[in-house]
Amino acid sequence: MAADVVRIGHTVSLTGGASMWGQSEARAIDMLVKKINDAGGVLGKKIEVVRYDNRNDAVEAVNVAKRLVSDGVVAVIGPAQSGNSIASAPVLEKASVPMVVTTATNPYVTMDQRSGKVRPFAFRPCFIDPFQGTVAARFAITDLNAKTGAILYDVGSDYGQWLAKYFEEAFVAKGGKIVAKEAFRSEELDYRAQLGKMKGLNPDVIFIPTSQKEAAMAAKQARDLGINAVLLGTDNWGSPDLIDLGGSAIDGGYFVNLADLADPDIKDFVAEYKAAFNEDPVLPNPVMAQDALLMIVDSIKRANSVEGEKIAKAMETIKDLKVTSGPLTISAADHNPFNKPAVIQKVDVKNKTFQFVKKYVSVE
Amino acid sequence: MFLQTLVTGLSIGGIYALMAVGYSLVFSVLGFSNFAHGAVIMLGAYLGLALAVKLHLGIGLVLVGSIVGSGILAVMNERLAYSVLRRRKAPSLYLMISAMGCSVFLENLVYATIGSRFYAFPEFFSRQVVQFAGSSLSLLDLAAFIVAFLAILALHVFVTRTKTGIAIRAGVCDMTMCSLMGVNVDRLIMVVFLLAGAFAGVAGVFLGVKYLVYPTMGWVTNKAYIAAVIGGLGSLPGALVGGLILGVVETFVSTYVSSVMRDVFSFTLLIALLVWMPNGLFGSDTEEKV
Repeated sequence: MAADVVRIGHTVSLTGGASMWGQSEARAIDMLVKKINDAGGVLGKKIEVVRYDNRNDAVEAVNVAKRLVSDGVVAVIGPAQSGNSIASAPVLEKASVPMVVTTATNPYVTMDQRSGKVRPFAFRPCFIDPFQGTVAARFAITDLNAKTGAILYDVGSDYGQWLAKYFEEAFVAKGGKIVAKEAFRSEELDYRAQLGKMKGLNPDVIFIPTSQKEAAMAAKQARDLGINAVLLGTDNWGSPDLIDLGGSAIDGGYFVNLADLADPDIKDFVAEYKAAFNEDPVLPNPVMAQDALLMIVDSIKRANSVEGEKIAKAMETIKDLKVTSGPLTISAADHNPFNKPAVIQKVDVKNKTFQFVKKYVSVE
Repeated sequence: MFLQTLVTGLSIGGIYALMAVGYSLVFSVLGFSNFAHGAVIMLGAYLGLALAVKLHLGIGLVLVGSIVGSGILAVMNERLAYSVLRRRKAPSLYLMISAMGCSVFLENLVYATIGSRFYAFPEFFSRQVVQFAGSSLSLLDLAAFIVAFLAILALHVFVTRTKTGIAIRAGVCDMTMCSLMGVNVDRLIMVVFLLAGAFAGVAGVFLGVKYLVYPTMGWVTNKAYIAAVIGGLGSLPGALVGGLILGVVETFVSTYVSSVMRDVFSFTLLIALLVWMPNGLFGSDTEEKV
């Protein structure tokens, strides 16, 4: 290991179902690392990114985490998914390597579910699922005037299971009624049995906390069954190919996202990315990955050290740090950011875009 | 809700049946489970997608193209991977392992060349829904079901009424005797793989249109394989009935019991059925099964 570089690990899905975001994340990090290195690096040393593909698989993510530890990285960016992050966290914690996940929104990424204590080495720049689920429920009730809702989720994913729960709680608390809560297993393609059951109950909205692939198929199948409910999704929908995959069936669906291409805060980043790669970034991962990198760089500078404990300590005191998505302050109590906004986007198939609908800063 | 569940179950079962036929055909003649069938279905879907997106062909020509292409692929698969093993009289277990290898190889070849992203077919059938007695079925599902049924019927007629079909059935009974009687066994096996490949082409296009196209889409054929086992591996009517039963049972369990419990129930059914009828519903008595 060369002494004149600072090694930062990146565990990311370069292949597999989440590779679209992963590839975009890798590009955004390389872009920013080059910029930081050109400006002199950190503590006078150049940053070197050590990147391994975790294939969006929890077992592989643990292997990658172990490899990164043995490669001597000072901190890790990623993974992007909650399940993979929860699996990786104990490995990195044992090695005292701080981990800043990009878009893993499950509360138990930074909080140990069993002990209820904060994980000392896990941080994130993104909002968490209770907030996202609450935003979705509140939007359904106040803006879509929904009285009844149904939920279709992946029972094999931490992300989907928890979001289904948070949405249900918030929806019921706001006076709505959940008429059906149906699950499918990961890698399954046909949801018509579940949707057929919903059809008879005629919900106003169907909440589908999955990635764009399942959302597109569920939308097609729902429309085939003659279901006209409004479809409502979460940040994993936010991939441009949602429109190609879902076609007319997904048109008019709404989803919660971490960032919007039209958001003035990230305008410069989008322009820079587009200039470099001739296409739009696949949001929100590239933005969140840059935020994660900036959190690490800032903490190393303030700690004036590359020791894991010191970096983690400094990370707890991040305040009003200018990151790609806007100002960021980390809560020392739970290692989540304060007031990270969520945007609601509407799928517009005709113009092939996601329309900005509204922005929530808090749900209180 | 009952009728809707039944209609949905049948339409899912129709696709299972279409895929199960490919397993049964090869098993009936060569006595091994050709697990590369799922990968050929996946390649058929990519081929259909290319024809639809790049050449803007309609669904009819896309189907024809995919049938021809997948048929050729299946024959090549047999020539390159299985025929040598077959001539050396390797046990059928080795053929099955080779088939698994082919499946993983083809999947990863697609990962490496085309990539892992998902694709959707253009919308051939504008989201039209056929309504009857309060239940709805998309035009696509109806078309898929009819095509699946007709294709299996045509195959049945071919196998029972034509000279080549009779040769195939003779081969099913006793391959060695068949070759002694002057039947060209290599040609016979080629025809079987051509047919299995053709069915893979149809199944691939319908799967792609209905769901999405991606490298591991062939995994859904695990279900089709189970359908073939329920019906009796090697039996064509068995593949059809097995597919429909599995589709309907799954859908009813999801609707009336619990969608999470679905596979627990359907696989319990499979195990129970095999305990009771080890050769499936329509299977002939065979000692060796893989």
